Amino acid sequence: MKWLRRLPLYLFLLLSVTIFILPFLFMVSNSFEEFSYVLPNPPRILPTRINFAAYEYVLTQSNLPQAAMNSVIITLCTAFFTIFVSAFSAYGFARIDFWGRETLFRIYLGTLMLPGFLGIIPQFLVLQSIGSSASGLIGTRAGLILLYVGAGICGNTFFLRGHMAALPKELEEAVRIDGGGHITTFFHVMLPLALPAIGTLAIFCLQGTWEEFFTARVVLGGVQSNITLPVMIQSLRGAHSTRWEWIFAASILAQIPMILLFILFQKRFVVSGLTEGSVKA
Amino acid sequence: MTQIPFDIHAANRRERVLLRRRRFYNLGPAAPFVLPGLILACVFVLYPMLFNIRISFSDYQIVQRSMSWIGLDNYVALFTERGDRIWLAIRNNFLYAFVTTPFIILFGLVFAVILNNLRRGRVFFRTCFYLPVITSWVIVGNVFAYMFNAGGSGLMNYLLKDVFGLLPAYVPWLQRTWTANLVIWLLGIWKNIGWAMIIYLAGLQGISADLYEASAIEGASKTQQLRYITVPMLKSTTFFVLVNMIIGSFNVFIQVLLLTEGNPRGTTSVLQYLLYDKSFNLFAFGQGAAIGVITALLVLMTTLVLNKVFGTRGGRTE
Repeated sequence: MKWLRRLPLYLFLLLSVTIFILPFLFMVSNSFEEFSYVLPNPPRILPTRINFAAYEYVLTQSNLPQAAMNSVIITLCTAFFTIFVSAFSAYGFARIDFWGRETLFRIYLGTLMLPGFLGIIPQFLVLQSIGSSASGLIGTRAGLILLYVGAGICGNTFFLRGHMAALPKELEEAVRIDGGGHITTFFHVMLPLALPAIGTLAIFCLQGTWEEFFTARVVLGGVQSNITLPVMIQSLRGAHSTRWEWIFAASILAQIPMILLFILFQKRFVVSGLTEGSVKA
Repeated sequence: MTQIPFDIHAANRRERVLLRRRRFYNLGPAAPFVLPGLILACVFVLYPMLFNIRISFSDYQIVQRSMSWIGLDNYVALFTERGDRIWLAIRNNFLYAFVTTPFIILFGLVFAVILNNLRRGRVFFRTCFYLPVITSWVIVGNVFAYMFNAGGSGLMNYLLKDVFGLLPAYVPWLQRTWTANLVIWLLGIWKNIGWAMIIYLAGLQGISADLYEASAIEGASKTQQLRYITVPMLKSTTFFVLVNMIIGSFNVFIQVLLLTEGNPRGTTSVLQYLLYDKSFNLFAFGQGAAIGVITALLVLMTTLVLNKVFGTRGGRTE
């Protein structure tokens, strides 16, 4: 009889899940269609057929492969440099008591309260002024990576600092007694111990960079060969008419890596929690 | 006798050295760790923020790279513009925050509590609810644009009129102010519930099982436990979600770009969309930067009010 009492609960859950999944279902079914600019009426909720014409088109006729390559390069580089720089930075703030530390950290925290792209115009100008060519780093992948890493430093330092400050001091003292400096402590004690937190940071960094649209569009918008997947998908939206099946096919292909990432590291998303880093703030 | 002044000088010098050491203490050891990040933060965060304020008081021409001080002209132009676009944008930002946040918190909490008590299918349901969170805004924005298409080929019109008969006629969702705003809100709610749920699930792990056991012995019902244990114990989690959602609502941008472009006549616009439109469509960088400064001030004010109302200064943490 117990499951009978739970029945309404499961019904509620199933109904909610249906509503949550509906847009995805709709996207998948429509990616199998061929609309040639005319939308079907009534709309397709369930696929009426399995046809990969739209996938074939975006994979061979559009610049999706190039955009995917750009996205992979930009995402991996951003994650790598972000982890490197913010782990170093977080160690400095968590383990070295230096002059002006608290003030500087407050400034870092203060910048977190402001929406990310408030500084987009000056950031654009800064990128433009780096390098020798007239447009500087605008339109280049390196420019976008640099901007992503730089703009994320404050938040990521904050996140990792919380974890590093919470680790026990004894191991560090052992290194000190053996004559090791901060560099030794960082690589041999702190980095291995902070690995779970670094993993969490890496996943969120990968996911955030992969889906980022606004900055990518502003920085890379003019250079077709360097655009990322979200910008490429958006460019499929026509001014007057749109081949929706192309958009949906490209969207699904672009989303697969993120779904895999989530399935592989689901524990990270849930167990370690997103708030953990703020404990020692 | 002559040794005393000498000693004092030496002592003073030694003290000064010590003092200087104390003043800039440990900067050497910290530099290799902190400096790379600090330089990046200065170049890409701090300097842009300050420079943005400077641009907002200037007539900035990006091609000529000329910048002339014009005082508050950009701000005046924004607030006296025909069509009141900035006022509409501010209104829509606050409406978005006030409408979406309660639903996100409510459903995030409900799903988290249900999933936490679930023995079977927890991973499945959790993945389903989290799917929108890990999907790009560009993708979900496009799907919603198609779903809320004006005619009978739009999924929502088809479902609500033809299948369930709830509407007398097809609705041009994205062409009218309030239905378009409704779609923008729905997208925001749908996309963020999963995030709130995950945060609440983490928060629930922190509540000791003893509390539930003790209250069960005292004869408390499940509803009473929810009301008197779960919700109060999750107060700081709720505050964290609340602050994140309200501050985050000043980041609303892509929904508007993909769904309405602020139409009809700026009544669905938000600050970030206006900033984008002014800067990168109209090349009015001064006004764009001014919108940035206005947004920053609004965020600051909102944060102060939230801290005042909810009273827990350390409430950001668990």
